[in-house]
Amino acid sequence: MAETVITVSGLTKRYGSLTAVDAISFEVYAGEVFSLLGPNGAGKTTTVEILECLRPKTAGDVRVLGMDIDKQVRDIKKRIGVLPQDFNAFDLLTVKENIDYFGDMFDKRLPADDLIKAMDLEEKRNEWFKNLSGGLKQRTGVAIAMVNDPDIVFLDEPSTGLDPRARRDVWEVIRNLKQKGKTVILTTHYMEEAETLSDRLGIIDHGKFIAFGTPREIVDKYGTGARVIVSNCDNVCCDTLKEQWPQGEYKGKDAVIRLENKNALSEIVYTLDRSGGNYEQIQVTRPTLEDVFLNLTGRKIAEEAAANGK
Amino acid sequence: MANRVWVAFKADVKGFWRNKSNVFWTIAFPLLLILLFGAIFAGSGTVNVPIAVQDQSNSIASHAFLDALNQTHSVSLTFIDRNANIDQYIHDNSPSVVLIIPDNFTSAFVPGAPNGTATLQIRSDPTVQSSGIALGLLNGIAQQFNLQIAQGGNIIVLTHTDIVQKHFKFIDFFLPGVIALTSMTTTIFWMVSVMTRFRTNGIFKKLMTTPITRYEWLASQILWQLVVVFISVGVIVLVGVAAFGMTIVFSPIAIVTIVLSSALFSSMGMIIARFIRDEETASSAANAITFPMMFLSGIFFELSSMPDWLQGIAHVLPLTYVGDALRDSMVYGNDAAALGNMAVVAVLAVIFFVAGVLVSKWKTE
Repeated sequence: MAETVITVSGLTKRYGSLTAVDAISFEVYAGEVFSLLGPNGAGKTTTVEILECLRPKTAGDVRVLGMDIDKQVRDIKKRIGVLPQDFNAFDLLTVKENIDYFGDMFDKRLPADDLIKAMDLEEKRNEWFKNLSGGLKQRTGVAIAMVNDPDIVFLDEPSTGLDPRARRDVWEVIRNLKQKGKTVILTTHYMEEAETLSDRLGIIDHGKFIAFGTPREIVDKYGTGARVIVSNCDNVCCDTLKEQWPQGEYKGKDAVIRLENKNALSEIVYTLDRSGGNYEQIQVTRPTLEDVFLNLTGRKIAEEAAANGK
Repeated sequence: MANRVWVAFKADVKGFWRNKSNVFWTIAFPLLLILLFGAIFAGSGTVNVPIAVQDQSNSIASHAFLDALNQTHSVSLTFIDRNANIDQYIHDNSPSVVLIIPDNFTSAFVPGAPNGTATLQIRSDPTVQSSGIALGLLNGIAQQFNLQIAQGGNIIVLTHTDIVQKHFKFIDFFLPGVIALTSMTTTIFWMVSVMTRFRTNGIFKKLMTTPITRYEWLASQILWQLVVVFISVGVIVLVGVAAFGMTIVFSPIAIVTIVLSSALFSSMGMIIARFIRDEETASSAANAITFPMMFLSGIFFELSSMPDWLQGIAHVLPLTYVGDALRDSMVYGNDAAALGNMAVVAVLAVIFFVAGVLVSKWKTE
């Protein structure tokens, strides 16, 4: 097993009577991508900002790279890189100047041009920060987070507010970080992001973990089994399915039916064939983390995110 | 540490030149001020303050003092009979300023004299604008005399002292006020706006993840504001001299006062910024602080012409001391008084800086 780089035990953060982080414990291993997944206000950012020495904790024990987050702040800062939530750099400095600004704050740093190349920002090297698109700003932010060649990189909601293409670019950047041997701590409220990038993750809600493990473990344990989607059914098909599987979801001409057991799929196909109706296709999907969250909390993570204006 | 201050400073310089409206206002604001005051007061011509003098001493010493006063070319003296009743004279002639040199004036200059003080009596009409100038001039000369005596010089030397020997125009008296005002508004507005912006857009949070400390960052901002203030002062001086033929004397005391004033008001800006939530409120808050100070601190109006309660307020406003120090040094040539006021500014600058560092927080709870 890889070396443990972060140990959190019983971490608690209270604001008055509100408990934002409620006695959570976890470990992060060297070289992995570890994610905290949850809706806004779940306590993700509070947790990572405590680890980044940006906020004081109320209780608990946290060690980053073996160091105490209260006493060894300066030493920790030298060895971690942070892309804060809603990251901004200096509007009227160029990409390179911004990287140099933050880099020069450290005694030891990487050359700006190496980072610009690594983040594929060569064309924007001399562009003012304020003229960059959201995705390019985030990439600049990651470049800045890397400038002190940190062992651990914290990325707090790196793809929030980005269009799908830019989001995928950011994912690529995160995969590259992992390849370089960096430990990455990611917070996100995008299920797909957590699922595709994380080695391990914790789903957090109201300051507590409600699920923890590899994406596969979590889905297997808390998921609701595979589902069959029959699309573009005609009336005959729809009625037959509704009759036999009333618990399915029916929206317009589509039917979604949860597979209760191994035989369910063949039963559905058989029933459809026998009904004599027409449909376009049958699709089987594995449950996602979204289903896990829905299953565990009765709420949808994405809807909450949207309701919060993100 | 010095390195990090320098890095942050350089970024300000770059950002400044790239923001054209920033550059424009840094130059336009002082330009407007000086043109405005120039237009209002340039027509006033040279200052000539009438002073009625009762020279009860009628001695070499008192003549030396009056000579020095005459040397300023800013006064015209009328002499009152030694034995005249002053109250009667004031009643009959309504002079705006009366100076009474006491009988024992000479004895004050005899080393080891038992009664080594001479009290110059000045009576002035506070409603007359020029009386404040007369007070300043008299005060300056008196201080200069005292200094000379304290250093063991003799009376003859006194007649040669150049204290204020230029022809002052009325506008010259406003120049220190304009400089004091600029050093205040420039720095307060900058600090309040930049700190509010960096807090809301997350730059402070990002800075916190690096080794730079609050002290280092604040030091870089004060350093940068010094440069901006001196650019503004440069504009004021250039236009003042070129357009209005102002007489400008910069002593080291004036320069140091401007430096301290910039630090003082930058620090005050930090403290104000602590209580501002968003950028929209930032400039109104800065206005709310700077506007009253501009009018209450006597940088443009002689304090002596204000009601007592206003004078009381003026004496607790830092800008008063900046204005006084600059005027003492640049107009009256009264270095002793200038140093005193400068010392007050220095102490306030330290207090405000420490308070500013203590209250300004990057950390979120």
